Amino acid sequence: MSDALDRELLNAHERGDKTALVTLYSQAADNANTDDAKYFYMTHAYIFALDTGHPIAQQLRAKLVIAGREA
Amino acid sequence: MATTTDLSTVRQSVDKANGLPNAHYIDPDVFLEERDALLFSQWSGIAVAADVPEIGDAVPIEFLGMPMLLLRDRDNQVRVYQNICRHRGMILVEEPRKIEGAIRCSYHSWCYGLDGRLVSTPHVGGPGQNTHESVDRKQLGLIEVRSKIWRDVVWINVSGDAPEFEDAMHEVIQRWSEFEQPVYHGGADSKFSLEVNCNWKLAVENYCESYHLPWVHPGLNSYSRLEDHYHIEKPEHHSGQGTLVYRQLNGENGAMFPDFPKLSQKWDTAAEYIACYPNVMLGVHRDHAFAIILTPNQQDKTTEHVHLYYSTPETDDALRAKNAAQWKEVFVEDIGVVEGMQRGRHAIGFDGGHFSPVMDSPTHCFHDWCASQIDAHRATKQAAE
Repeated sequence: MSDALDRELLNAHERGDKTALVTLYSQAADNANTDDAKYFYMTHAYIFALDTGHPIAQQLRAKLVIAGREA
Repeated sequence: MATTTDLSTVRQSVDKANGLPNAHYIDPDVFLEERDALLFSQWSGIAVAADVPEIGDAVPIEFLGMPMLLLRDRDNQVRVYQNICRHRGMILVEEPRKIEGAIRCSYHSWCYGLDGRLVSTPHVGGPGQNTHESVDRKQLGLIEVRSKIWRDVVWINVSGDAPEFEDAMHEVIQRWSEFEQPVYHGGADSKFSLEVNCNWKLAVENYCESYHLPWVHPGLNSYSRLEDHYHIEKPEHHSGQGTLVYRQLNGENGAMFPDFPKLSQKWDTAAEYIACYPNVMLGVHRDHAFAIILTPNQQDKTTEHVHLYYSTPETDDALRAKNAAQWKEVFVEDIGVVEGMQRGRHAIGFDGGHFSPVMDSPTHCFHDWCASQIDAHRATKQAAE
């Protein structure tokens, strides 16, 4: 994860901006170097999407299910 | 070792009986015994449905030390859950709020739907692996507490083994069958809470009887005299009082609340006030109703949650405010006596008191119910041991 994205994530956590966390963790997943890192970040994006009722939740879940990471 | 009180004199007829012993008001061990015998094992009031008016509204409530979560689900059903995550028992919702999506535990982010289903267990099988064969989500949903809405009150049975609500409450449901129609909460100006330094039962006892009215509520004397009242007693179920001279409130320009439709003539001037054992006190009138839910906080601390209801969603603002103020005045007038009786329970040797066989029978009816339930609870416990 880039330093800039890391800072943005920390800021979003500090603000409690869960919608931003969905976006930022999705970006982190897209930029990850390994599968484990990718699905780790995607899981976070998915959880904050679930939390906020974000419509992208089901897409993220579908990706995780296909990868064998979610039921 | 918990105190075991002698309840034999309580279960006598009203002319011979004593009230409940002091320990039932001041002893923390007896408070816990009564929690199990009188509150968790029965249908107790915990809140009103109007507390969660919209889908997703969630309110955490501590009831006798138990963390509960009141919410309105996506199907518009009011539900009560234990407010804890099935993972580590963490409190899920800390303050009233609207749940937009899932209920996410702030500790490890296990997520639950409003229907209680466990929908995600992030990293439970390791980083980025959100399942594990030993974590069966189907078995780990939120723990739902048995609940029922009646007259907008949310009643719960924590033990889960009380008779069906309709059976447990059939006597009062039948008595007030004419009032089986929609009630509309008056809104923010039609609810208030009173913190009272007394055991919850003293509030019930005071509510049951009309004997105190001329002394504690002298303002009622002008139109609602003692002889205009009657007792309501259904042993093992409820007790209370009725009046024959209810007068409707008038506002500016003769404004009045609309009546509940199709009531019989009796209700032109009658009103009734019933304590539904254990902790809900209801009142009905031709044009409004109220519910008082007692939250027992400690053996000597109780919160009274008062809610006023009408026959239509919209009512005159000023008249509604006047009605709430009038009832608040009455209920505040009662605080001095229930707190005084609470302090009186520290008098060593007080025998529980002596009832007027004529005027106190609704209170005795409540004491007799308490004693019978506690005796039954003790017998069950002893048999188990």
